[in-house]
Amino acid sequence: MQIRTTRFGALHIEAEDVISFPTGLLGLEDCRNWVLLADAQNNALGWLQSASRPEVALAVVSPRRFVPHYQFRVFRSELAPLELADVRDAQVLTIVGKNERSITLNLKAPVVINLERRLGRQVVANGDQPVQHELTSQPAPLKKSA
Amino acid sequence: MLVLSRQRDESIMIGDNIVITIVDIRGDKVRLGINAPSEIPVHRQEVYEAIQRENLRASRLEPKDARGLGKPTGPASGADA
Repeated sequence: MQIRTTRFGALHIEAEDVISFPTGLLGLEDCRNWVLLADAQNNALGWLQSASRPEVALAVVSPRRFVPHYQFRVFRSELAPLELADVRDAQVLTIVGKNERSITLNLKAPVVINLERRLGRQVVANGDQPVQHELTSQPAPLKKSA
Repeated sequence: MLVLSRQRDESIMIGDNIVITIVDIRGDKVRLGINAPSEIPVHRQEVYEAIQRENLRASRLEPKDARGLGKPTGPASGADA
């Protein structure tokens, strides 16, 4: 099947490439079917592209590549719909955003995907996780000369 | 909307397994205790609203913005200046 996208043009995908988010995402409840794409230029980056709305795509990354000690806790109910045999099989992605200062990661509401069952869900982490965790795009300047 | 008056230490039941208790009242702040089965997520409303806003904002990000994403943290390569 073919899907139209505003960023990546027309894409040819197989039916089994589609990842179903039965409840959509918060604010994007109508987007139930998504495809996960690799970015052509940045191998740390992926895109969750809506299969139904060409203009809706979310940049995603594996959070631990950027926030090495990232961990989150969720209510059991948040993961139950994913039908994971083992939570360690879950693919965890965080959505990339941007504010006035920097690129940000939404650590409060990661996307969890059961790749085998092609099921996904955006979960709400318990505790104090930022919705906009700022990533400084440049390495922090060294305070002391080495 | 159903509106009920409650005093401190009084509770409201929602269904037969969710109990909301008024723990404390001070000025314009009310502290609630929520007892619910672990399969029921409980979050502040503003958390959901913040996530909605963030998703909508993120959904408008263009590849050129996201590709500014630096190299993963860790030993800085310093090679891409």
